[in-house]
Amino acid sequence: MPDAAATLTEDRQRLELTALSAPAVLFTVGMIAFPVIYTIWLSFQSFSSTGKPSFVGLANYAKLVSDNEFWHGLWVTVALYVLSLVLQLVFGIWLALVLSHARRLSSIVRSLFISPFMMPPVVAGMMWLVVLDPSLGAANYILTSLHLPPSDWLASPTWVIPTVALIDTWQWTPYVALIVLGGLQSLPPSVYEAAQIDGASPFKTFQRITLPLLLPTIVTATILRSVDLLRFFDIIYITTQGGPGNASNTLNIYGFRVGFEFFNIGYASALMLTLTAIVFGVVLAFNRLRGAVAW
Amino acid sequence: MTEAPIDDVWIRRMNTLQLAVAGIIIMAPVVWMVLSSFKPSFEVTAYPPTLIFSPTVENYGQLMQTTPFFSYAVNSLIVTVGSAGLGLLFGIPAAFAVSWTRISWPAILTLAARMAPGTLFLLPWYVMFRQVGLIGSYTALILSHAVITLPIVIWILLPSFDNIPRSVFEAAQVDGCGVTRILWRIALPLVGSGIAVAAILAFVFSWNYFLFALVLSNGDTKTLIAAAFNFVGEGSTQWGALMAAATLIALPPLILATLVQRWLVAGLTLGAVKG
Repeated sequence: MPDAAATLTEDRQRLELTALSAPAVLFTVGMIAFPVIYTIWLSFQSFSSTGKPSFVGLANYAKLVSDNEFWHGLWVTVALYVLSLVLQLVFGIWLALVLSHARRLSSIVRSLFISPFMMPPVVAGMMWLVVLDPSLGAANYILTSLHLPPSDWLASPTWVIPTVALIDTWQWTPYVALIVLGGLQSLPPSVYEAAQIDGASPFKTFQRITLPLLLPTIVTATILRSVDLLRFFDIIYITTQGGPGNASNTLNIYGFRVGFEFFNIGYASALMLTLTAIVFGVVLAFNRLRGAVAW
Repeated sequence: MTEAPIDDVWIRRMNTLQLAVAGIIIMAPVVWMVLSSFKPSFEVTAYPPTLIFSPTVENYGQLMQTTPFFSYAVNSLIVTVGSAGLGLLFGIPAAFAVSWTRISWPAILTLAARMAPGTLFLLPWYVMFRQVGLIGSYTALILSHAVITLPIVIWILLPSFDNIPRSVFEAAQVDGCGVTRILWRIALPLVGSGIAVAAILAFVFSWNYFLFALVLSNGDTKTLIAAAFNFVGEGSTQWGALMAAATLIALPPLILATLVQRWLVAGLTLGAVKG
């Protein structure tokens, strides 16, 4: 009899646990899983001017392969991704090292460091749009005062990608720094004592001890930034909408415009599924790397 | 032994210097934005740029008069509070169930929303919401923004629930308490600070989110962030009003984030880093 009672409460418990997670699961199925499956279906359709879908097989994907704008978007996405990531990691690790030497972070310093990545990216874009204005902006005034050549920044097809990368680096370097700082503070102090006894120089200590031990944290920061950088949207859409010309037309911007400016939903779906596959591929690859460098 | 302290002082000075440089680079554009918002209209586009001016609030006045800024702010508040509330309502029990059962796929499923580009969801949502006539409705906006808030709530609360000793629950079970009662009566009061962090970060990220409202809102339900796109288009010569708008839009998330700064990084990395 006690067994039966135990089974009864166990069944009840399982039922309650299912009920607790049911709203979140149903919501996720309704708002994410089903729509993604629907997108896959949409990517095999073409829509007539009246909005009537017709099955076109892989035509949208074939179009993608021969679409110069897609390959250009892929190139812009990758260039922006690599440039931003490298800048944010280099400056982020530097900033973390500087912060780790400060005895403790006052809450004022901390607030100051989180404000760039807590403000909306759209606001960051508006702000830099004014600072980087080619004719009246403060940035060019500072450059010319220092006898350096001014730049057209966001208005220049050549410089728009580095400029956007700089804006994103301004916004997210403190975030990378705080993650790396967390990693630094969890390193065992004993390894440094040994290096100090051996008389290793600060640079050698960093290169031989800190950096290798920090690698898992750096890979984590890389994954978190990769997810955002590969689907770059907000700052570009508020400042250039992909321009000048198509110089900053990332895949996400291109897909959005194909879908909601030209209303070619089928082709936009194929573009977005391709971008999603790229994001997941990169994340999985770095996740493997994280397993390989863990200690 | 006399050398070390001098060396230390020098290193400390270099360090303070680097920290100051970083601080200036981080704060300079923000200070410039706020300063510009208080400049008289003839001075905001002055070249060379001026640092000393008599501050005025005329830009803020102009912003309120020429745009429905206040109703955009109300829209933002409705969508943000609604989606953060929905995220908490669904996320708290789900996080508790995942922590209890160690079956993590529901939590991982919500992470897909954190990784995929928003346009991937926006395309089918647009088609679906249009069919049921929900384009431009608060419902569509709140539901779409809850996709942002739900994973934040779940992944911030998971470690909080995990930290409660199992014996606390077992004692309650012996007393005949069901799982749901344990959640509401025992677990929830123990993770109060986790819920505060989750609520605030859900609010911040919903407030800051741009893409969905760009397509799913209409003139009556437009959020501040989506309206900012129009401000930029109209404000190419009105820098003062543009910077006033930027300052006001950034203020709520910045104030809220300051409240939870200590737990921010652990929360933002969705449990990948404890910091």
